[in-house]
Amino acid sequence: ENREDMLNSKSNRLTEALEEANRLFDGVCRAREAALDAQFLVLASNIGKEKANELHSEMSAFDSAAFAEDLLTFMGINRTEIEDSDDSEDVPGGFLPSNAWQKMGEEALKYFRRAPTFHYMMGSFKSDPPVPKQRIERQKRANRGKAERAMPAQLKKMEESHQETTEKEVERILGILQTHFENDPDTPISFFDFVIDPNSFARTVENMFHVSFLIRDGLAKIKLDEDELPVIEPMRPSTRGEDDVRAATRNQVVLSLDQKEWK
Amino acid sequence: QVSELVQFLLVKDQKKIPIKRADMLKSVIREYRDTYSEIVNKAAKTLQEVFGLQMVEIDTKRHIYILINNLRRAESEHLCKDKEKAKMGLLMVILSFIFMKGNSVKDSAVWEFLHRLRVYPGKHHKVFGDVRKLVTEEFVRQKYLEITPIPLTDPPEFKYQWGPRAAKETSKKDVLNFVAKIQGKNPTFWTSQYSQAEATP
Repeated sequence: ENREDMLNSKSNRLTEALEEANRLFDGVCRAREAALDAQFLVLASNIGKEKANELHSEMSAFDSAAFAEDLLTFMGINRTEIEDSDDSEDVPGGFLPSNAWQKMGEEALKYFRRAPTFHYMMGSFKSDPPVPKQRIERQKRANRGKAERAMPAQLKKMEESHQETTEKEVERILGILQTHFENDPDTPISFFDFVIDPNSFARTVENMFHVSFLIRDGLAKIKLDEDELPVIEPMRPSTRGEDDVRAATRNQVVLSLDQKEWK
Repeated sequence: QVSELVQFLLVKDQKKIPIKRADMLKSVIREYRDTYSEIVNKAAKTLQEVFGLQMVEIDTKRHIYILINNLRRAESEHLCKDKEKAKMGLLMVILSFIFMKGNSVKDSAVWEFLHRLRVYPGKHHKVFGDVRKLVTEEFVRQKYLEITPIPLTDPPEFKYQWGPRAAKETSKKDVLNFVAKIQGKNPTFWTSQYSQAEATP
């Protein structure tokens, strides 16, 4: 606190504070108080050092305010017009042109030994032969890049198709199930009727595989009818209360079907 | 090998971020580690003789280098991009403020000064964008400015000084001349700064 006040070269506040600390120290009889006193001494010496610094630069008084004004003048400030905008409350009238800082920079650069930044030029200083070579190289590199990119892209596509087919199939089957059910809403479809393909055992297994996805995702459910034969029906989102979902996820059914049975 | 290193250095210098010896070894010299110093010396010579650029080691412990121009900039040369010019303008203003104020200034003093030039740390600037970032990060990374915390300050305060690149690319004398020109005075007007400027090569 009062840091700025103490720093002021014209004030004796720092000296006064030190004198008071001296007086207080006479009354000190506990270690904690002595520690506080030591802390104060550190702060005081820091401030003292700063004060001394300020003294030094005041010898050749540098008026930063005047410098700032001169800089603005150099940058071409227009002082006749006064800004009406809200954020110019603490800024004196006048505004800087858009190239103000560039102008500053141009002048500043004269005092710097800055290495110019190096950029490859499009053209070549040499005569024609080198230029085509560069182009060919670049093209080759570009082609290779494209070829490489083509390969991974192809592979990606194949992989995707594997996954996609399963999903697509599942969706397709869901669609079929829903359509059937729409046409005949009160009759659940016999599970076996649904999945068995009379012509192909493999296909049957595949169908069962896809249906299991639907069940897992809660989009369809299987239950036993009066004859203890499984029937399948799509789950309508509206009917899917929490109980249903919980019940659906609890049951796991293992169906076995071999070729003989299928036949 | 030498020409590869020369190209490497020139391209690396574009952002004005100092170049580490480790990077040079990794990208260019690789297998030729033993002849490293010879290659670097030859590269420095090429830079000097062909491009007029000087390779300066600003950190001898960690071996970090910068490129500076050996030649004084000719009056009519303006091959800089506008943004670069503007940044140099701001930098020069800050460097001159630091020097004239005794080579070390508190961050609050710097920003108070920039305030007068319509540059605010919290406000997006039309030319510089995020000024605080430019000053405290970019300029520091490029080694133009050195910002160090002042001990025992709460909330923490920082002091701003010239960075090693600034010391190499310009001089106290140049900066004093700049200030003198702006203020229309003779550099001898500020006796203490003038004697400092004369003393430093």
